Amino acid sequence: MPMHPLKIQLLAALLIAGFYSSLARPETAAADSAAGPEPAPALVADSVDSGTVDSEVQVLKDEVLDLNRELFLLEEELLFPANTQVAVFVSMDVGEFFDLDSVQLRIDDKPVSNYLYTEREVAALLRGGVHRIYLGNLKTGEHELTAVFTGQGPHTRDYRRGATLKVEKGIGAKFVELRISDRDSKQQPEFLVKEWE
Amino acid sequence: MTHSPAKRGAALRVAIAVATLAGAGVNLPARAGEVPSPGPVRDLYYGETLFQFYQDKHFDALTHLLVARDIGRVENHEAESELLLGGLYLHYGQHNRAEEIFDRLLTGEVSPTVRDRAWFYLGKVRYQRGLHDDALAAFARVAGALPESLEAELPMLKAQSLMAMGRFDAAAAVLDGWQGPDGWLPYARYNLGVAFVRLGRFDDGTRQLDRVGRSSAGSAELLDLRDKANLALGYAYLQQSLDGQARVALERVRLSSPFANKALLGVGWADAARHDFRAALTPWLELQDRDLLDSAVQESLLAIPYAYGQLEAHGSAAAGYQSALVAFDAEIGRLDRAIDSAGNGGLIGGLLKADDPDIGRWYWELDKLPDSDEARYLYHVIADHRFQEGLRNVRDLAALSTHLQEWRAKLAAFDDIVDTQREAYAGREPQFSAGLDRVDLPELRARRAALGARLDAIEASRDPAGLATATELDQWQRLTAIGADAGLADPGAADLRDRHRLLQGVLLWDLDREYKYRLWVQRRKLAETDQLLARAERGHDGAAKARRDTPAELDGFAVRISGIVPRIERMQLAIAQARGQQEERLQALAVETLREQRDRLATYRVQAQFALATIYDRAAASARVAPPSRSEVSR
Repeated sequence: MPMHPLKIQLLAALLIAGFYSSLARPETAAADSAAGPEPAPALVADSVDSGTVDSEVQVLKDEVLDLNRELFLLEEELLFPANTQVAVFVSMDVGEFFDLDSVQLRIDDKPVSNYLYTEREVAALLRGGVHRIYLGNLKTGEHELTAVFTGQGPHTRDYRRGATLKVEKGIGAKFVELRISDRDSKQQPEFLVKEWE
Repeated sequence: MTHSPAKRGAALRVAIAVATLAGAGVNLPARAGEVPSPGPVRDLYYGETLFQFYQDKHFDALTHLLVARDIGRVENHEAESELLLGGLYLHYGQHNRAEEIFDRLLTGEVSPTVRDRAWFYLGKVRYQRGLHDDALAAFARVAGALPESLEAELPMLKAQSLMAMGRFDAAAAVLDGWQGPDGWLPYARYNLGVAFVRLGRFDDGTRQLDRVGRSSAGSAELLDLRDKANLALGYAYLQQSLDGQARVALERVRLSSPFANKALLGVGWADAARHDFRAALTPWLELQDRDLLDSAVQESLLAIPYAYGQLEAHGSAAAGYQSALVAFDAEIGRLDRAIDSAGNGGLIGGLLKADDPDIGRWYWELDKLPDSDEARYLYHVIADHRFQEGLRNVRDLAALSTHLQEWRAKLAAFDDIVDTQREAYAGREPQFSAGLDRVDLPELRARRAALGARLDAIEASRDPAGLATATELDQWQRLTAIGADAGLADPGAADLRDRHRLLQGVLLWDLDREYKYRLWVQRRKLAETDQLLARAERGHDGAAKARRDTPAELDGFAVRISGIVPRIERMQLAIAQARGQQEERLQALAVETLREQRDRLATYRVQAQFALATIYDRAAASARVAPPSRSEVSR
């Protein structure tokens, strides 16, 4: 059976330390006793039994993941059917001129989301992640969507900016992207609202 | 020996740091390496998966990606999403699934870039499964340039595989001269140093280890790595009898480091090698008050009386061996109790009870571990990778079980939603249907067509009166009627005829002047009517579809919900069973690890007894030769 990578590292390091320490010691009853590092035999690979259990666990996890996927689909279809579904996303690029704190979202003048971003989430946005800030239902017809972005703008000044879009909700699901982007020419952040099909 | 929970927590952290550090050369780059290739997001839901992934929420990312792929929301990132899926399965310990995906990618028509990345990941799956030959074969298939992070990780993975196979010369060849990212270089140098020393290339090895040992470390992980390098370097020097250099390297290890105990022991041995036993006692005496679980501390209990013996302080030596025996006995007693407890499931149970079962939060709150003597042995147990793997499985299973439990509660709510919707539909249906039936769309369409035809006719004949207002039309009709009146033809009615002609001319002039504008207005209104009619048709179709499909859709939801419930229950049973097996295995591992500890202590105990007996024998022999002096007795 092969060795686990973590153990290989451990084995390499401990063998150096353990092996050399026993050689360096004077030959006394005390010194002859092994100096500590985990004994090598214990580092050798897993038993067959553990491999079987691991495979069984993998199969089971796979089944649960599959069921989980089905449940997600069921939840979305039941609670947010495609003919009324509206999803709003936040994305960000570069972020040199804007350090995002929060986004408030209103649809038809009703607040539907007020999201405060953690540092970790902002970092994920900057790396290309897209955050689904809102998932809800809207009737077909025209609706007004307003987003207010707060954070720190250029020169670490507090910054608050809004963007509005009128959207026509048809029969299919509607996706809207709120995009924060750097406008180099003006050294300012730019807030765009884009509809996706 | 008792410890406060906080102290124990710190000890466990140290133990985990040791275990983590041992694999740090792998772990650190691996994390960076699985970043998908950069580029603009062309599907919002692909970006949404990345949002979870970049926060290390691998389970959420995996679920979201599976759902998005299922309903065609990531079509613009097909190959990337496949690669990401494979990477996420890999992260989640689903090696078989990950390998399937990378295999599938490699048999399909994919770009050379995707192909290279797939070979890389396939190699990585095999590497993580310990199939090092196969891993190297996959790595060798990477033909072009990989994204920067993967390019940097590749030599590390190759070298790790080679080292695992004992091919240290090849590993050294891969790592030697490698120019990777700054943060990774110390790990590569450390590995290279180890490889060289194992090859017997002592100077090359110590040079690399020395560089790591003298590096400025900016993070806790790098500080630990630096200590580890100094420890390895120190013992390498000791092996070559370069005791002075050994001491310098070992003294660079921080006293708070996970490697401090072994370093202190080594410093003592470096002094002892120069026969400076008085100096050797300083680090060894420092060790004797530390946690007896550490093998270096255990050994110090024997090394101290040994040093006293070398200094001819036989009384102190005997006392030292006696106190070592007492300490070993006490520790063996505690170990016996811990072994019993581990055998009964107490040790593992305690560890798992303190765990947070939520998905995605894979950490232990070490300070909250059960406050018992047994808990202090956990760190030896946790340091075993087989235990970590098994524990990970148990925790994954526990988290999945919690997750399914949450879904089970949600499903009950979904069931209620379906019932409520069904009732609401039944209540509204008569009114809804009556409304739908009242709307006569064909009649509306016919009226619109008639209007359009009329407008066309007006335009074709350029009939300004056709667009007259009601007043104008009335006036026009009255003037026409007057014109048809026989009295107007009377010779005496010339004045009336003039007035009639004038009025008719004025009205016609006005109508003609307004004609174009009115025609444009009417055309526009007709277009608006078309739009409204189209919307009404869409609405009507939607409503008709809803009337037709809603009962079946609600029934469909109810069937799906009722079908999933028993599946959840079956899976909960399977999870409980697998978890039980895993826990039994962990229990056996814990007992095995603790027995090894006990056996080592028992060996030390025998050695202490033997040394003590030797001292007593010598004392008895010298007493037979000459009576002891007063000072010797008092000592």
